[in-house]
Amino acid sequence: MSAQSTLFSERTEKWRFKSRFSERTRNAVIFVSSLILLVYVLAPVGWLLSSSFQSEAEIVSVPPHWIPHEPTLENFDAIFFQEFEEVTYDTRRKVDPAAGGYIPSTAKDLMPSMWNSFIVSLSVVILNLLVGIPAAYAMAKIRFWGRQATVYTILTTRVIPDIALVVPFFLVIKNLGLLDHVLSLIITYLAVTIPFTVFILVSYFESLPDELDKAARVDGCSRFQTMTQVFLPLALPSIVAVMLFAFLTSWNEFLLALMFTQTIASQTLPIVVASFTSDFTISFSFINAAGVVAIIPPVILALFFERYIVSGLTAGAVKG
Amino acid sequence: MARILFDNVTKYYGSVKAVDRLNLEIVDKEFLVLLGPSGCGKTTTLNMIAGLEELSEGDIYFDEQVVNFMPPHIRDVAMVFQSYALYPHKNVFDNIAFGLKMRKYDGAEIDKRVRDAAARLHIEHLLDRLPSQLSGGQRQRVALGRAMVRQPSVFLMDEPLSNLDAALRISMRAEIKQLHHSMETTFVYVTHDQAEALTLADRIVVMQEGVVQQIGTPDEIYEKPENLFVASFLGNPPINLLEGELAAEGGKMVFQKGGFRMHFPEDMTIKLQAHTGRAVTLGIRPEDVNEQGAAMPGSAVSGTVDTVLPMGSEQYLSMTIEGTEVFFRLGKEHKHKDGDSVSLEVNRNRLHVFDKETRRSLLWG
Repeated sequence: MSAQSTLFSERTEKWRFKSRFSERTRNAVIFVSSLILLVYVLAPVGWLLSSSFQSEAEIVSVPPHWIPHEPTLENFDAIFFQEFEEVTYDTRRKVDPAAGGYIPSTAKDLMPSMWNSFIVSLSVVILNLLVGIPAAYAMAKIRFWGRQATVYTILTTRVIPDIALVVPFFLVIKNLGLLDHVLSLIITYLAVTIPFTVFILVSYFESLPDELDKAARVDGCSRFQTMTQVFLPLALPSIVAVMLFAFLTSWNEFLLALMFTQTIASQTLPIVVASFTSDFTISFSFINAAGVVAIIPPVILALFFERYIVSGLTAGAVKG
Repeated sequence: MARILFDNVTKYYGSVKAVDRLNLEIVDKEFLVLLGPSGCGKTTTLNMIAGLEELSEGDIYFDEQVVNFMPPHIRDVAMVFQSYALYPHKNVFDNIAFGLKMRKYDGAEIDKRVRDAAARLHIEHLLDRLPSQLSGGQRQRVALGRAMVRQPSVFLMDEPLSNLDAALRISMRAEIKQLHHSMETTFVYVTHDQAEALTLADRIVVMQEGVVQQIGTPDEIYEKPENLFVASFLGNPPINLLEGELAAEGGKMVFQKGGFRMHFPEDMTIKLQAHTGRAVTLGIRPEDVNEQGAAMPGSAVSGTVDTVLPMGSEQYLSMTIEGTEVFFRLGKEHKHKDGDSVSLEVNRNRLHVFDKETRRSLLWG
């Protein structure tokens, strides 16, 4: 009896040791994996940030400096304050890129393009909400003929790659006379982002019980009031998520902007930043500083709404 | 104030007929219960009164006015839902006040009405809470309050008690009945629970597969079911059904199934005479037997008890008659055990006879 119980307690000890050991191992594996992932994700951003404070000479030095030896604000100074001098074939040797201080010819376009990006992104966000919320509410809660077909058609447009749409888009924009106009971007980005907005909101609205819709209507709400008074406040996390998605998509979009814009009247940030490589030489330090400026608005938005993003994107996936 | 009339109303969902040519008049201030199994069209009917479902055919009248295309927010109806459908982002006060706010009542009036309703439902102390912080019974009360404050002319309830536990359900039944008395408005109540229907209703509409089976007072529905469906849907345990045939025997009508015979009393004989030889289903409610005195052949069920099922206040005996399992309900004063031989006198005035083919009652059809 006692021998048996000793055996039993020995075994328990063994299991306890084993499980404690395996738990530690598991924790260690998770920790190391997360660390690797974190470095992988953050290293490019870290390099962008670090090199924006370095001179051109320091950037190209071997080995590279993760922490600037001589931190400088000259790149940012150039973006915000520098008077621009056009570089021509004759004057190309006046500034030595390797010595730093080389400013691309399109540098003056950076701030105006950021304003364009902002206008385009903001318009796309607002129009997304104006179109997407009523569309999603109708598809989720109103039975009408062709409802399923509508939902699937809208979702199907999402699987068409943007590049396939460039030519038709271009013809439409050209015929509308909107080439080199921010409206061309607003219209096309809307076409690209609306399906996603509708998809996320439809699945969220569908997860809310039909009886809630009925209760509101019996309580005296019209369809529109039901949407604004009951469904909108409940869908806030999803709405924030789609706002962010629409904003970031528009802010980062390159391909369509490259096709439809020609001058700073409509060029957006990605186009202008890309144009910095097309001069006689490339100033990495300046491009990196521009990159830092470009990611500030999205980063602020993401930090501000971070708690909504995950819950908004997964909401409606599982009925709660 | 609010008489509701269904005139040949049909509702299709695609090719499925949810409600089939419904003709029904709901009298003002009546408590009408729509009863039936799930999918029988009772909730669809309720939604059509509320204006939440459009009609495919026919007309609905409120008093003299056709309301087919009147949207729900214009109709003077309030509704309580099975899931309560409280607004999760609003506290109890705002939930109850919402309907009044949408109808642009002034603030003082809203406040007064909400507090009155809350006091009547004993939820004054919960007004600041969110629905997620309430128990099921409390949510149910809030849902009732939300419908009450509007003082609607029609009060619609869609299985409002099915999410509550058994004890709470009984006490809420009593409260709903009181509410109906004090509010003096038309109540239309949907349920699949026969006990709820029998306790609450002035009249019951029994539905199956979109078709009205019978309309009547609870007593009529229970005592004189017009067809086999109504008979078997009401009653717990359900009515015992024996398939056999009608025969004439010395001027009296008899039900025969193998060796089992049941003589019908005088008044039933008159009704059944024309159906001699017909294949029928005999219905005996479990409670319509007793064990007093010597049972006469032709008016009793005799045999051995397969199982005794004690139920606390009473007991059920399960027996087999000609291969069909039947249940009878007896008081606790009779002591029985499995395998006992018993003979139970049937209250023959309460027998039911249904045509086997049409399933309609030959007595009350």
